[in-house]
Order: sequence, then structure tokens, then C-alpha cells
Amino acid sequence: MNSILVRHKWEPYLWILPSLLLMAVFVVFPIGIVFKIAFSEVSKSGVVGAFNGLANFRAAVNEPAFGTVMSNTFYWVVSVVGISTLLGFIAAMVLNQSFHGRKLARSILVFPWAAALVIQASIWNYIIKFEYGNLNNILLNLGILRDAVNWRTSYQIEFIWECGVGIFVTIPFVTFCVLSGLQSIDAAYYEAATVDGAGFWKKLSTITVPLVKPSLTVSTVLNIIYVFNSFPIIYTITKGAPANKTDTLVTYLYMLAFYDQKKGQATALSVIGFLILCAAAGLYMTITMRKEDEL
Amino acid sequence: MKKAVALFLTLLLLLSASSFALAEDITLDVIICQYGPNTSDWFTGTGMDGTSFVKKFEEANPGIKLNLEVVSWNDVYTVVSTRISNSNPPDILNIDVFANYASEGLLMPVTDYCPEELYDDFFPAFMQNSVVDGVVYAVPDLASARALFYNVDMFEEVGIEVPQTWAELEDACQAILDFYGGDVYPFGMDMTTDEGQANFAYFAWGNNGGFVDADDNWAVNSDENVEAIEFVMGMVEKGYTNPNPATQTRYDLQDMFGAGKLAMVIAPNSVPTYLTDKGYTDINYATAGLPHNEGATGSSVGIMDRIMAFKDDSAPDQAARNEAIGKFLTFFYDPVNYVDWVSMEGFLPAVNSAVGALIEADPSFESWLDVLNTSKFYPSHKAEWDQVKLGVINVQQNALTGGDVKTLLDGLQAELTK
Repeated sequence: MNSILVRHKWEPYLWILPSLLLMAVFVVFPIGIVFKIAFSEVSKSGVVGAFNGLANFRAAVNEPAFGTVMSNTFYWVVSVVGISTLLGFIAAMVLNQSFHGRKLARSILVFPWAAALVIQASIWNYIIKFEYGNLNNILLNLGILRDAVNWRTSYQIEFIWECGVGIFVTIPFVTFCVLSGLQSIDAAYYEAATVDGAGFWKKLSTITVPLVKPSLTVSTVLNIIYVFNSFPIIYTITKGAPANKTDTLVTYLYMLAFYDQKKGQATALSVIGFLILCAAAGLYMTITMRKEDEL
Repeated sequence: MKKAVALFLTLLLLLSASSFALAEDITLDVIICQYGPNTSDWFTGTGMDGTSFVKKFEEANPGIKLNLEVVSWNDVYTVVSTRISNSNPPDILNIDVFANYASEGLLMPVTDYCPEELYDDFFPAFMQNSVVDGVVYAVPDLASARALFYNVDMFEEVGIEVPQTWAELEDACQAILDFYGGDVYPFGMDMTTDEGQANFAYFAWGNNGGFVDADDNWAVNSDENVEAIEFVMGMVEKGYTNPNPATQTRYDLQDMFGAGKLAMVIAPNSVPTYLTDKGYTDINYATAGLPHNEGATGSSVGIMDRIMAFKDDSAPDQAARNEAIGKFLTFFYDPVNYVDWVSMEGFLPAVNSAVGALIEADPSFESWLDVLNTSKFYPSHKAEWDQVKLGVINVQQNALTGGDVKTLLDGLQAELTK
């Protein structure tokens, strides 16, 4: 009896040791290194030197592009997460109805999510090309356009395209999160509401939304993290050009680290990004949890 | 039983993480940049007469092993700086920049490992470009020179001559624009982070400006440069160029040129190889010197890449290591191997011993060697070069979105002389 108890004490830890080790090596350790580098002097070649306090942070914030990049990041996250959540919610409502070909519709929706992001970004980059882009070709062949249109005449428009691609690839994730929430709602609620004379909007606001809220919370928090950290779309389509005007924090810090050879500043920015994400995710979760408690 | 097996496997996993290797031979870590579709196959596959460079080298040099990795140009800076940050730089590196590594004391002087016979074989002008504080820290692996490629059929159809000055260039662009009504871009420009510094060089040098002054000090905001970049922006504004110079790379331009969508582009001597490899066979083109401003002397732009060796204080036998590096270089630059390599990728050689064989194989090489002789090179021996490279790209991209050229160049100069 005694020996079993003893064995039980250390055994669970042994079983989770490999995954703990993996986490330590690939998650915790790199984060520690980033924090260390962010507060150290880094040479252009990448040699890490002495502790230099907040110098990297100061230099990063004083770069002329910093303001543009931060506001781009804000617009990028808010528009992609906001619009894809709205559209994903609507798509989930539609897919929750029973209709012919629903299975097919659901599987088609998975495609944008299942394909690698960098491939999708390259394809979209090709679609909106002026010279040989598919969009122009299709519209010209259908007779809708007479002359090819340059779909990326300015960097503002290119940034809107990038947000559009971001929304396109994020919708499936939201849809499936919400769909799983919708399917767990007992049909009896709706029947009772119908008997009481509630219309579509009333049912939506008093039954559907409150009950899928946990799913929405999960998808929104994860999306904020994914979209904030999303690199391939912007890097593939514009690489932040011209002059960092379409960069977000992540693509910008990559360029800083590996093109500008300013690794100290780049690590400082990634620490800032990490803290922003922690704060944003934490804030969102506290707010939604508190509201759920009030219910 | 199952638990015991699982436990055993878990322990095995932990053990394997700490595996180690016994080393008897000298192993050299080598990083080579990917110049084209054949690079990997030649070095590590079967592209060298059915075998690979690595195999052939190891057979010829027992006791030396190569851990050779071919890395794309997009990734190589990331790979190298990550390895340096982790105190694990390669032994031998092929890349374009070297001054940062040299000035931080990471590189060995070439004379430490390069046999004298080979050293004297390099074109002296190339070696002078790899000097920091009087010491040569890298050897050239190959070079390329730039020329104006133009579509001969289009020029005949429109009825124009090849432009030599900027005024003629603008006239030619206008004529092409009028004739094709916007279906053909007259002139290609790449201001992307891929190679925007080349565009700056084509026009700054074509106006007697440049990156440095006569005393080799940074002078990016000279009046000549301001005039040159204002001319460039004028070309874009008038619609003489491809519409998105900030995102369209030279490879996009070369494709447009091959497809007959672009009438002129400044590009390296490897373009014929590129066009053939990509299947653009029905285009009739020729080359000419780069257009320059009236009264300025025209010059070509030469691009040179390098091979360098990093210090490794942990190596047990420094002399043996140096000798191994020397053997690698001797083998690589042996005309039997080197001529194959240079001509495969469509580049120009960096050693005298290869010239004869290359001209014999392709007589057009000779004219390119002449171009190379009159070429100017980037000041990549200066430690701030990569800052300048990015800086002039940034200036051009900012000017595209309405920034004032003089203010932008003054800003960059101020940052450099800070």
C-alpha cells in the first residue's frame, strides 16, 4: 500500500516531464532570452553585450516609423478581429440552419483555414496583381471591365487589401467556434420563446448571443493573439513597403532585426508586443468573465 | 508492462536529447548562398557530373569533412546573425556583406588561411573592396555587372534609338508610352528592400554622385544625389515606370521584360540565363550602357559577393583548421570546378585563371569583363553599409509617398554622421 502511494507521488510528474521539457526549451527559455537581449547591447552582427537598461526601448520608440507601425497594428487587429467575428458569426448562424448541401458548405468553409497562410497570401498577392492578376483577367473576360484596373494604386489601398485577406482567412475559425456553441444550445429554448411570441432579433439577443458567448470569448482572445502576431500576409504582399507604411509590429520588428541589423530594438519591440498581448487578452477575459458572473 | 515500456521510451527520449558525437576529422561548417536553381544540386546533390562538390572535395581531401548548407538569400542574414548570437558562426561563409563582421573582430584575415598562389589569382580590384583598416578579410566568389536591357523589336516598332542620357531616356519613355498606350511599361524600377539600393546607385552614379565622397566619407545627401533621385521620382510620376516600384522586385521586372510587358530594365549579366531558364524564348533583346545625366560620365554598377572565414577559438588545432579552409578555397577556385560553377549560374569570375576557359566557352563573356573593369562597386567595406543600403531604399520609398528628397537624404546623412 505504502509503496503504491509513494510511486503515485512522483509518477505523474515523470509522465508530464517530456512536455514540460519541451515547453521549457521551446517556450519559456526563448522568452527569457528575448527579455535578456532586450535589456542588453547588441552589435550589428548579433553579438550580445552588456546590460544597457532601457536604451533599446528608447531607441525603438524614437524611430520615426514607430507611430505609423503602432497605429497600423491597431487598425489591423481591430478590423480583422472585429469584422471576421461579425461575418463568422453570421456564417455560423447560416450553417446552423438545415438545408441541402450544408455539409458541403461547411467543408468548403474549412479550405481557407486549412491552407497554409503564406500560400494563401501569395495567391492573393497574385490575384490582385495589376499586370497578370486573376481578378483583372476574370473581370476583363466577363466584360465587366474594359481596361485592367490597378487594384493597388496606393499603400493605403494595399493595406486595406491585406486586412481583407486577414479577414478572409480568419472567418472559418470564428465560424467553427461559434457553430460549436450554437449546436450545444437546446432547441427547447427557441421553441419556448416562439410560443411566447419572440421574434428573430429577440431570440438572437436573449438566447443565442448569451449562450454562445463562451465560444465567442475563446475565439476572440485567440484571434487577437493570432492576428496581432500574424506575419505572412503582410510580409508576402507588401513587406511593409513603402517605407514601413504598411508594416505591423511583427513585420516591422522582423525587418528591424534582420534587415536593419538593429536587433536590440527589435527584441525590445517584441517585449512590448508581448506585454500588449498579455494586457489585451487579460483585459478581455476579465471583462467577459465578470459579465458572465453577473448573469 | 506497458508502463515499463513507456517509461523506457521516455528515458530514451531524454537521453537522445543529450547525444554527442565523437570528432576525429576536421569538420568545416560552410554556408553557401543560393544563386539559382542549380546551386543546391551542384554543391550537395548530383549536379557536378553526377556527384556533388562536397563528395568530390571529401574524396580529394581525406581528413576534412564539410557540413555544407545552401541557404537562400532571403534567409541567409537571419541564419548567420542567429548563429553569431548563439556564438556558433559558420567556419566559412558566402555572403555579400563583411564589414560588420570584420570590424567586430569575428573574421580571420585572408592571409591566415589563403595559399599565396590563390591569393595572387584574385582580381586585385576586387580584393581592395574587401579591406578594413588595411587588412583583407574576404575573397570574392563571383561578380556580376549591370547593363540596360532593351526590347529590340519594340524600339524598332516605335522608331527610337537606345537612350544614352537621361533626357533621351525620358524621350524614349514618352515615345513608348504614346505608341503602346500604356500596355507596355517603358522603364523598370525596383525600389524594394530586395535591391532598391541598386536603383539608387544607377542614378546617383549616373549623375557623378554616389554613396561616398572622394575621401571615402559618407555623402548620401550630395546635390548630385538629390538631383538624381528627383529625376527618378519624376520618371515615376510621369508614368514611365512600372506602377508599384516599392513592391515590384527585379525578378518581377525581369519576368515583365521577358513577357514583353516592359521595354527597358537595368539588370545583371545573368539575365539571359534567367530568361532561358524561365522559358521566355521569343523575346529579342540587346544590352547597352546605363543612361547617365548630360555631362556626367557613365559607369556600370558591379556587384560582388564574398567568401570569408570566421574565427573559432575553440578549435583544438588552429593551424590545421586554417589549412583545411585553405584547401576548401583551393578546391573551389580550381578552374576545373570554378568555371563550371560560374558559367552554370551565369556570373562573372573573380580569378584570372578562369578567364581563358570562360571566354573560350562563351565569347560574349569578354565584353562583360570589360564592363566589369569600368564598374563601380558598393562601399560595402564600410561598417555602416547595411544601414546605408536600407537608408537609401527607405528614402526612395518615402519619396514615392510624397516625401521631399533633399530632406530625406539630409536626414539619412545626419544619422550616418551622428
